[in-house]
Amino acid sequence: MGYRPCGVYHQYYSQDHAWWQTKFVWGKMILLFITIFYLFPKFAGLYYISVANVIGYTILSAMGVQLLIGYCGQVTLGHSAFLAVGAYTCTLLMLQLHLPYPIAMILGGIAGGLWCVLFGLPSARVKGFYLIMTTMAAQFITVEFLITQYVSQIGGRGVAFSIPPGTVKIGPWVIQSDREVYYVMLALVLICILMLSNLLRSKIGRAWIAIRDNDIAAEALGVNIVLYKLLAFFVAGFFGGIAGAFWVSSLAAVSPEHFHFGWSLWLVGVILIGGTGSIHGIIFGAMFMTLIPEGLKALIFLLTQNPFLVELMPFLPLLLEKFLFVKEAVFGLSIALFLIFEPNGISYRWWQIKNYFNLWPFSY
Amino acid sequence: MEFFSQLFITGILVGSIYALVALGWTLIYKCSGVLNLAMGELTLIGAYVCLSFYNWGIPFILALIFTLGVGFALGLLTEHLFLRPMVGEPVLSVIMVTVGLSFFFKGVVELIWGTDTVVFTPMVFPMEPIFIGKIVVGQVYLWAFVASIILLLAFVTFFKYTKWGLSMQATADDEMAALSLGVNAKIVYALAWAIAFMAAGVGGTLLGNINGLNISVGYLGLLVLPAVVLGGLNSVPGAIVGGLVIGVIQNLADGYLSRYTPGGVKEVFPFAVMVIVLLFKPYGLWGWVRIERV
Repeated sequence: MGYRPCGVYHQYYSQDHAWWQTKFVWGKMILLFITIFYLFPKFAGLYYISVANVIGYTILSAMGVQLLIGYCGQVTLGHSAFLAVGAYTCTLLMLQLHLPYPIAMILGGIAGGLWCVLFGLPSARVKGFYLIMTTMAAQFITVEFLITQYVSQIGGRGVAFSIPPGTVKIGPWVIQSDREVYYVMLALVLICILMLSNLLRSKIGRAWIAIRDNDIAAEALGVNIVLYKLLAFFVAGFFGGIAGAFWVSSLAAVSPEHFHFGWSLWLVGVILIGGTGSIHGIIFGAMFMTLIPEGLKALIFLLTQNPFLVELMPFLPLLLEKFLFVKEAVFGLSIALFLIFEPNGISYRWWQIKNYFNLWPFSY
Repeated sequence: MEFFSQLFITGILVGSIYALVALGWTLIYKCSGVLNLAMGELTLIGAYVCLSFYNWGIPFILALIFTLGVGFALGLLTEHLFLRPMVGEPVLSVIMVTVGLSFFFKGVVELIWGTDTVVFTPMVFPMEPIFIGKIVVGQVYLWAFVASIILLLAFVTFFKYTKWGLSMQATADDEMAALSLGVNAKIVYALAWAIAFMAAGVGGTLLGNINGLNISVGYLGLLVLPAVVLGGLNSVPGAIVGGLVIGVIQNLADGYLSRYTPGGVKEVFPFAVMVIVLLFKPYGLWGWVRIERV
């Protein structure tokens, strides 16, 4: 795990393996947990909580993408297909078979994982651009064709599956308001991050990283490439399915429009801006990509409140009206600029800042 | 049989447009190794630019030529601002820059021109269909075919007989050797993007003439991806054949399969074909088989 302040000596391997190795880190983490579990939901308004939910959803969805792209080197441009599979499996199981939400969610995750393996199969033969094409095909075949045309017909509910209030519940608790969704989100994000980071420091994770760095060398060292690639696809699809099933809880109705191609690309953008090959990267990327558009929207809204500025820039109200497109353009531009000027992403900056303070006052 | 040949001919005619756009795509890939996922948005921009010119009362042919000019300029600009700094970066980063560009272009197009379907008014091509034997062909399709073929021929001539075309071929073949012989790689990259923009612009205009113009024309531009994968990424004849084949396959699927499904076969079938091709022939029909070493 690299860096440790001087004066801290480990006597047992378990200390070496611990996630939080010093008292300071413990304190920091406990503060963080108090903030996200108690202070934030207590004092933040509903708007901020719903924004936090979107961030959490983005983190959950981007986790599989980060695993595939950042840790296993298999580029996926169709991840919202697996989100959709998870969401639809979960919804159908709840609506048709009346299974409880947690079980439906896990089954949704497994369905997403298996579906992801199906489209990961070509990865045994092809890589790079050709693999990108197959994952893109997964998006079009799954969401635009199978789900829109066939799955939506199940039960005769029309294209969108509306979820009656009170359907989504864990045991006796009904998940309805944003605040309840927020707690579900927190729990899921923590569990998934724990799973992912523990996987990454096991044999499996090391095999994935070896495949990412050089698959031929990894094969020569005895890593079963096909098996581990497919395993990566399964785990990534599982996370995707969980994310989709989670999002069901905060939607009034599930429809294919929630899982369009743009969202897949958005997720890849999230991890590129956050930083590939880093779990911090997922969180930073998700926060950046959610907060920047919201901030921009608030800014434009504030500007339109001022009549003088509106006179100066008559296109301002139009921008607010067409904010979706502004968001798209800003997103595209920020991906391109990040890749050109800061290819390591935000997590690299974070690491630099942390190092600076850790080493202060000596810069080496 | 009649039904089949009808579908086949229409497929070829539409496929020629895909072939044109695919040619632009392959060109970028051959010359600079950039896998461009913004091709759909390039077609969109070209189509809307041409439509704007046409709406100002400029005759269609002239508008098309102006579009070529705008495409050329935009191509040079895009290459200079976004792709030049990425030379030598990992492949995924470059791909994602093009994805970013596609979002950016799409957002800008939607901001400027809105999302409603617009048509070229007055109609550029007359509505009356032409009968070839018993096969009915819309004039739009026929003219689109003619225009694509003319442009394809023009591009191929450009590669074969002009200095810049030859230097582009040389760069595509072996960049290092080309550089040592005095080929200016910067100009070659810029030119590749300019040509891709031009080809995509004309392709988009023609597609927009067939069904009216909205954001989904950008999706049709994405169909070049199955086309180039089918033909092999770095083969110009492959791109042309791939485009034609995808056009035909799409139309046949629409004609024969759509009655068995609720719909949407036309959009998805090319991608399904692509996955199957990838499973059995990973480098396409004429692509270079890459031998990898540690």
